Amino acid sequence: MDGPGTFVPISARLHPKKTLKSSPESKFWSSFKTTFLTYNLPITSINFCPEPPHDFVVTSSATLFTFDGITFTPKSTIRKFSDVAYSGTFRPDGKLLAAGGESGNVQIFNPKGDPLRRLVGHVHPVHYVSYPHNDKLHILSGGDDGLVKWWDVASETEITTLSGHRDYIRCGSPSPASEHLWATGSYDDMVRLWDLRNTSPVMELGHGKPVEAAVFLPSGGFLATAGGNVVKIWDVIGGGKLVHTMESHNKTVTSLCVGKALVPGESEQSRLLSVSIDGYLKVFDYMSFKVVHTAKFPASLLSVGMSPSSSCRVAGSSNGRFFIGKRKGHKVEPKKDGPDELMLPIEGVGEENGKWAPTKPWHRGYFQRGQTEKHSEGDLVVNQPKRVRVPQHDKLLRKFHHKEAFVSALNSNNPEVVVPVMEELVARKAMVRAPNEVC
Amino acid sequence: MIQGGKNLVYRPPAFSGDGKRLLVCTGNTVSIYGTSTGLLITELVGHTATVTSVIVLPVAAPASKIASYCWTSSLDGTIRYWDFSSSQLIKTLEVNHSIYSMVIPNISGPPADDNGEKGDLYALISADSSKSSAQQRGLSGQILVYNLTKSVLLKNTVSETLKPETLVGSYSGEFVGIVTARRLLIWKPPRKNTDWVNLGKFRVRLHHTKSFTTLAFHPSERIVAGGDITGRILIWRGFGKRRFAKQSLTSRRDVENEEERPGVRGNDDAESCATWHWHSTEVKFLSFSSDGAYLYSGGGEGVLVAWQLDTGKKTFLPRFGSALRYFVDSPDPSLSSISSADNQIHLVNLQAMKVLKSIPGIKLPFAIPEIYEGLWSNGFAVVSSAGLVALRTENYGVQFYSLLHDREITQVVVCNRNYQTNDDVTVVVSLLALSGDGSEMSTVEVRLPEEGIGGLVCLKFWECGSHSGDFALSTVIYDPHGDAGISAVAFHPTRSMVVSSSYGGNFKIWIRSMDIQKKDGSLQKGGWRCQSIGTYKKNPMTAAAFSADGSVLAVAAGFVITLWNPNTNTLVAVMGETPEPIVALSFIPNAEHLLSVSRGSNPQLSVWNLSKLSLSWAYALCAEAMACDMNSSKFAVLVLAPAKVLSGVSSHRDGLILLFEAEDAVPIATWCVKKAKGGGLAFLQEDHFTKTENTTNGKIDGKSSTRLVYLNGDHEYIVFNPFNSGDDTTSKPHDWYHPLENEEPFGYKAMYGKLPDSTDKRENLETVAFELTDKPWETLFSGSSHVLPPLSKLCHVFLASLLEKKKEVTT
Repeated sequence: MDGPGTFVPISARLHPKKTLKSSPESKFWSSFKTTFLTYNLPITSINFCPEPPHDFVVTSSATLFTFDGITFTPKSTIRKFSDVAYSGTFRPDGKLLAAGGESGNVQIFNPKGDPLRRLVGHVHPVHYVSYPHNDKLHILSGGDDGLVKWWDVASETEITTLSGHRDYIRCGSPSPASEHLWATGSYDDMVRLWDLRNTSPVMELGHGKPVEAAVFLPSGGFLATAGGNVVKIWDVIGGGKLVHTMESHNKTVTSLCVGKALVPGESEQSRLLSVSIDGYLKVFDYMSFKVVHTAKFPASLLSVGMSPSSSCRVAGSSNGRFFIGKRKGHKVEPKKDGPDELMLPIEGVGEENGKWAPTKPWHRGYFQRGQTEKHSEGDLVVNQPKRVRVPQHDKLLRKFHHKEAFVSALNSNNPEVVVPVMEELVARKAMVRAPNEVC
Repeated sequence: MIQGGKNLVYRPPAFSGDGKRLLVCTGNTVSIYGTSTGLLITELVGHTATVTSVIVLPVAAPASKIASYCWTSSLDGTIRYWDFSSSQLIKTLEVNHSIYSMVIPNISGPPADDNGEKGDLYALISADSSKSSAQQRGLSGQILVYNLTKSVLLKNTVSETLKPETLVGSYSGEFVGIVTARRLLIWKPPRKNTDWVNLGKFRVRLHHTKSFTTLAFHPSERIVAGGDITGRILIWRGFGKRRFAKQSLTSRRDVENEEERPGVRGNDDAESCATWHWHSTEVKFLSFSSDGAYLYSGGGEGVLVAWQLDTGKKTFLPRFGSALRYFVDSPDPSLSSISSADNQIHLVNLQAMKVLKSIPGIKLPFAIPEIYEGLWSNGFAVVSSAGLVALRTENYGVQFYSLLHDREITQVVVCNRNYQTNDDVTVVVSLLALSGDGSEMSTVEVRLPEEGIGGLVCLKFWECGSHSGDFALSTVIYDPHGDAGISAVAFHPTRSMVVSSSYGGNFKIWIRSMDIQKKDGSLQKGGWRCQSIGTYKKNPMTAAAFSADGSVLAVAAGFVITLWNPNTNTLVAVMGETPEPIVALSFIPNAEHLLSVSRGSNPQLSVWNLSKLSLSWAYALCAEAMACDMNSSKFAVLVLAPAKVLSGVSSHRDGLILLFEAEDAVPIATWCVKKAKGGGLAFLQEDHFTKTENTTNGKIDGKSSTRLVYLNGDHEYIVFNPFNSGDDTTSKPHDWYHPLENEEPFGYKAMYGKLPDSTDKRENLETVAFELTDKPWETLFSGSSHVLPPLSKLCHVFLASLLEKKKEVTT
């Protein structure tokens, strides 16, 4: 006790300091600031264009939305589908878009939304459409009829049909290592690797659950597959050996993508992002097999994407919410055409010797001159005494207004405040009475 | 032999005439403290019983400033006259009644008689009644008049009261009053010597519906204020106008005018009565300021309230941390003293409403609710090497008190909370333990639940800083044993290890993790964590103790004693059993014996043989405290003596200290003590005493110089040599008294205080070196007038030459 006259405010219980080390990487992943747009219908697919500025296309019901990769604002909307569209995807150079659909046709558009080609062949809905990595002329599609088709886009003809899956094909991935190698996953619990030069699968990987997503990791040697609530990592070069099983999601994992973590002072590293019905997004370090970051979203997530420039990560939910996470510190470079209005000098303030100084007594700045002046070396600085802010509940407890103090603490919605106030009320034998008086 | 732990707030203190000293009634002595330092200057020793009042002669003229005399009264039936500057007794007056309170109305010098002779000095004393007739009517107190000049007790009794009451006199000595139940009785002391005999007839009675607790007189007007047990303050104006107008009995009935007298009850002799109510508990003191503009009041809330007398406006000096008891004004208007119930005297500047200095005494025991049945704790622990005792305080802290210097060292706030009025204690520091070297402390605080909701037990570990008693919080553990309460906490003698036993049926061993050197070089202090948990048949664990070397841990599991290896947490042996649950355990060093205490209807003090695992001997005594000497196999026990044992001895002594050798059931020595309930015992180690003996005798005594401390129920203590009662050389340390510093400020300093150090930073700046060239204007105007340029041009140059331009500083 410091002697008379000092008031002791209520203090919260002490807790052990969090030993959780905030590594630079987790700092990077938590630096994304999330906003959302609402589309009312489930967002089934998100695809980023590998070319800068990394525009992206979002598939929701019978519509494709394209977004600008820098400002993250909607660019165009494509509604040229008679039925639900699936798997909207950019050509690697970003000049064309392709999408499958419930009708079984694969349609090709230019980014403005003009339909250019229609690939007819599947008799069942097409859930997976993808361009190869370095090929602008061909397209691969997988449908609910269990067939994988390889198309020549310009002539609208199918080159090969690959059969082997016994159930709906829902996902696939081109190998970054070889232009002929593709992986497709199906609801028959299998992932099949195809060499387009053969018609039979070169490898079959049993995931054990209906496969919802498959993605080659950037080296091309590993394949990540998602089905049920597990994500599995396979060594493709090593003969399809299961390397690791990640079981950190509670519900079905719906989508996977590869993103890059830009950690200051370290080389950029690829991470696997997975989203699930349970609303969690997990970032997985597949080198050390560790989950490095977890983010919770208030909806079941169906799709995920991350910009190749790491400027944003996006996730789509089953209730139509589209979450855009923009990285803090990522600067939107303004266009420089015409004189910049921001650079105009403020009226009344002229530039003099490199310093902003007030000039004329009829300007506002003249009367505010010197207000922001810093003290110089020899000046005696008189510090104003810091005003101690006493919280409302402390003020009320001081006056023995127990009921009001209790209500004020409850209104703060902070258990760190409510619990100590309740403890203090117990010590004053007023806790039993306070809630009764409130009611 | 050192005695200490005096109660500073038993009676109101008194300021010396110059306001530099404060005379405090402390038991049989009067202690004199310096008001500027707050340290003890000297003591007036002479009374053989408690001193009940001290009255300082006011300074009449500046010439008599050096003389400083005071009157004291005591329960031993004497009034003594002292010169307190030299602490000499001048005269002793025998009254033969135990004096509870004394007032000397004409202290500043009795008025001259009609014949020009100087009158006698009279004292009104409140004493216990000796008359059997009065005692039969239940009146055990009486108020008497004593002629101090002639040393004669006047025969007439002024008044008889239910019990000896406290007398209150006004500033000028015009009135004297007491409170008796629901009445204020006021007398007007006469001017003539002969009228003193009839003092009892001139009396004003003022009534109220509640019992009064205190009263105060206005310094100049006929205003009296009375405080009652409900916290109301009643202010009567113009009291006794009829009664004291003419000092004759006949005038009483004539002046029965029927004018309105607001607030005055019945036929009371006052013009008006106003009631103020702010205090929620009883008003403990009332006092008018010396100019009469303010009324100060205080009570159980620990808040000093200053009432503006005309308007009733209040200002507060809150949070004294304890109930307030007395308020005393000093001749210096900026200095007053407030005695608070936690044995502390605050010196207060009432103009600035701030506390200047506090004189802390040992913390007094305070009423706490019984938390658990049979909790063995008197709320203190002793650091034997440093001679410190740690006591819990009323405002949820721990006070460290030096037994050897009779001075507070420091206070540690255990629970950071505003002080709450005494009547419903809900937060209690129930246990405290100190490690052997005093570097670590462990406290247990209990927050009592309200109707079963919200109880909390909190175990805290503290670490000592650079000097003793400077503790900082290391670790907090909330509800360490779940909902169950903690029965005992004990430190390992050598390592950082603590055992806490709980009524919930388990004990936990806590260890301190090592300090971690962080990457950035800073040292992260290690916290305490639980190492192991032990249970024995789910019996409630009621006591715990480590052996002297720390290899064995004894935990009392109800009626049996379990012995454990604290490192491996394995049960070694079980000893039992006692008729009642054991409440305390202690190993006897240098002997294979264990001491246990059980209380209840069938109390027992038992000594167990550890090598045989059996009872060695036992007494059916209710032990209050025990202590073991670290260097021998002796131990001391404080027992509450059965009534028949002490029937022959003085009635006040209710306890016995027994000194035993471990093997022998016959005590080596026995002492009878007072106020044993709630008392304690401890052995102090020798290093301090050998040091003092070294300086006094010049050689180290070969004999054992361990001292035993007995702290009684009122926290008064005595330090003595238990083995050698004859020639006890333990003397008071040389820094027991602090002479008053005589460095007196004068002139400006005395009025406004010391000037702040005003050396400016800018003075240290390098002075710009410039030289004045020799009179440059001399040559300016030389020349014939037609050659000179016009004056308008020259003027500028001339002025510029006068104003020497600052040169750049060359380095």
